[in-house]
Amino acid sequence: MATVKTLIYLVIYPGLLFLFLYSTFVEWYDRKLYARLQNRMGPRHTGRFGLLQPIADFFKLMSKEDIVPDRADRKMFSALPAVGLAIVFTAMLLLPVWNYSLDRPSVISFNGDLIVLLYLLSLPTFIFFLAGWSSTNLFSTIGGARVLTMLFGYEVPLFLAVLSPAVLANSWRLAEIAAFYRQRPALSLVNLLGFVIALICVQAKLERTPFDIPHAETEIVGGTFTEYSGKKLALFRLMMDAEMVVAAGLLATVFLGGFPGGALLGLVNFIIKTLVVIFFLSLIRATTSRIRVDQVVSFAWKYLAPLAILQLLIVILVKGLIS
Amino acid sequence: MNDQTLIDKAKASLGDKVLDITNPAPRRIFIKLKVDDLLAAVNWLKNEMGFTHLATITGVDLGQAFELIYHFANSFTCVNLRTEIPRDNPLLPSICQLIPGAVLYERELQDMFGIVVQNIPDGRPLVLPDDWPAGNYPLRKDWKYERPPEVIPGGKR
Amino acid sequence: MKFQIPIGPQHPALKEPISLRMTVEGEIIRDADIRLGYNHRGLEKLAEQKTWIQNIYLTERICGICSHSHTTCYVQGVEKLMELEPPKRGLYIRTLVAELERVHSHLLWLGVAGHEAGFDSFFMYTWRDREIVMDILEIITGNRVHYGINTIGGVRRDLDEQQIKHILDSLSVLRQRSEYYKHLGTNEPSFVARLAGVGYLSREDAIALCAVGPTLRASGVPMDVRKDDPYAVYDEVPFEVCTAETGDVLGRTVVRIKELFQCYNIIEYLLKNLPSGPVAVRAPRRAKPNEVVSRYEAPRGENIHYIKSNGTDKPERLKVRAPTLGNYAATIKMLKNGFIADVPLIFAAIDPCICCAERAVSLVDARTGQEKIIVMNDLKRLSRRLSAGNIRKREAEWPL
Repeated sequence: MATVKTLIYLVIYPGLLFLFLYSTFVEWYDRKLYARLQNRMGPRHTGRFGLLQPIADFFKLMSKEDIVPDRADRKMFSALPAVGLAIVFTAMLLLPVWNYSLDRPSVISFNGDLIVLLYLLSLPTFIFFLAGWSSTNLFSTIGGARVLTMLFGYEVPLFLAVLSPAVLANSWRLAEIAAFYRQRPALSLVNLLGFVIALICVQAKLERTPFDIPHAETEIVGGTFTEYSGKKLALFRLMMDAEMVVAAGLLATVFLGGFPGGALLGLVNFIIKTLVVIFFLSLIRATTSRIRVDQVVSFAWKYLAPLAILQLLIVILVKGLIS
Repeated sequence: MNDQTLIDKAKASLGDKVLDITNPAPRRIFIKLKVDDLLAAVNWLKNEMGFTHLATITGVDLGQAFELIYHFANSFTCVNLRTEIPRDNPLLPSICQLIPGAVLYERELQDMFGIVVQNIPDGRPLVLPDDWPAGNYPLRKDWKYERPPEVIPGGKR
Repeated sequence: MKFQIPIGPQHPALKEPISLRMTVEGEIIRDADIRLGYNHRGLEKLAEQKTWIQNIYLTERICGICSHSHTTCYVQGVEKLMELEPPKRGLYIRTLVAELERVHSHLLWLGVAGHEAGFDSFFMYTWRDREIVMDILEIITGNRVHYGINTIGGVRRDLDEQQIKHILDSLSVLRQRSEYYKHLGTNEPSFVARLAGVGYLSREDAIALCAVGPTLRASGVPMDVRKDDPYAVYDEVPFEVCTAETGDVLGRTVVRIKELFQCYNIIEYLLKNLPSGPVAVRAPRRAKPNEVVSRYEAPRGENIHYIKSNGTDKPERLKVRAPTLGNYAATIKMLKNGFIADVPLIFAAIDPCICCAERAVSLVDARTGQEKIIVMNDLKRLSRRLSAGNIRKREAEWPL
């Protein structure tokens, strides 16, 4: 019975099937929202309201010719999309998507899973870098270098911003942090600054405007993905959508009080809260223009990192006051 | 300053270098020079009269010679320096020392008329392909392009 | 580590083929080179074989965006050669279309600048409003892109009261939207961060390198052919030459937005003061041997045509210098010591129209000098034969 349960967790919910369907839905939501903000219609024709468009795109890409450049490292080039996807799907299992009790909030839950989740969310960045580097294309190489340059900018502020609620909740466990803020909702207001910083950093991590520098098509063609095509590109795109879901889930858990109410209500909570986070992400995407890579780093270290430290200070002060 | 004062000044400064000077329309002055006096005239125009903007250089194939017209402009008039070089020895001094922006027009002249511009800072072909057959200069009047008979792909040949 | 990046001939930032070779160190450009010639159509040669009337439509096809600029420049030159005096109403309508074209070109440029900077929302908004101008042009001329309204001796279509009312109504919408873009383009922090200080061109360099149009005016040089050398009815119309002092891409944006407002004023003036009478006079078929230099301020800058006639119904020589060619030398200057990320912006900031700048060679097979159609099967066989003997080069150098 336990094996069957684990299989269900892994394959159906919250594992593969749910994440696949939900990330395609999130892509549709993002595209539609982005289009409406730009006075366009967005996807309309495939399925009702164009809901099936991302899935159609996925299958279309899957059926396209798959080319590996002659000079690329063939094994690494082919393995990267699958490895990246596996990492993101593993990260999903750590999110406390249902909260019957603190004993079993998700498939895997242990003290310190917040750190593991952050680590798993950092890995895709290295996957992008390796993808760019192993393509041996000039544009991909520049894209790969830009991925790493940006990483030095946003990673530290993101960690600081996400860790400060954990400091206040006095736990490194996602489920406990969420439970702490559910009991004292007023305290989550303390983390407002951190939430904004984390939103910006997640936007950078997901490489969306204004941080879509590694694959800025007007500068370096496809950037890291220039040489990718067919199945591998489809997997990469799915990976980016899934990463968006996981990152939004992380922010919702840490800042917005998690997803209470058992499997069904927890699912509804999960969807609503992640969509709220993604709404903000889309809004940033629609209202900004791409900045330069040096501007990202200086912005991150001049503004985001000091603000994140300020947030940490506030949290420590508040913690002293309430204890 | 109007056209007439400029014409007077040109006659005074350039003296007998000016072969002919016409003013066919308001704000259009054509000055004819020998090719050897070209640089001196451009220098005079630029440094003393303030004509810094070179609009373009036109080449015309007259048959026995190439006519070159340098169109200068500033805020009140447009001066066109006209010169001729023989067709069998098409040598032209570059004016890039005085007007750096002229380089593209001079490269175009080289491509299109086979004029040899001396002292040009960058003499690569501009508009023609790198492997363009030598001795083909499209804007010469005797250069004819003949379209070969159309061959229908897959049809009878 | 220095390496060369090719931007073009095919690149997503370029809408037309041109090759920019950038030598970069990290993200910084050390050297830049422009290679033209991918878009040649042999227009100057072709023009010598067509009649005066046919050449109007030929020059119209030099460019899709400033099609009216080239025809007007050509037509007013030919009118001088033929000693024609076009009627006032015709000139007013010609100027009206020219200004509408400027509005549509500048709105298009704003969108392209937004797109190159990764600000797609701005792109979508400006291009939506560009449709209004396109619709007006369609109402006036019957076409959205190649208006075909110029003819030697005037214009081909007249305006009626209803059309004038429609244009004036649309104009108020455009004014309102342009105010918004002015606000957005000069205040959105991430957009301004991308534009300010990028592609700096000093006043001295701009003059020395013979830059034209908004590129020159953004460096603080108030040169505008409409003011300096008034053609058509610009000597009657009140307007100001817009300049900026900053000399960067932001300055060029500001100049173009300011010019939009000037255009609206000019259009309004032209419509309110439209004289009555015929729109065209009859033109003869031949022109006496003569020559003329015709200048025109296209949306991108000074456009100059040199036309020489020889007494027949065909020109002896038609020389076209489109504004983009005049700006290339300045572009190379601007690109040096910039960032790779700024290449598309700097290049787009001159509003490059590659098909304008290149127009002068006939279609010839590059290798043999002869045009030849190769049957597909032959081509396959040829390529197989060429590649059969090659050794697979694993460690080959990158071909650049």
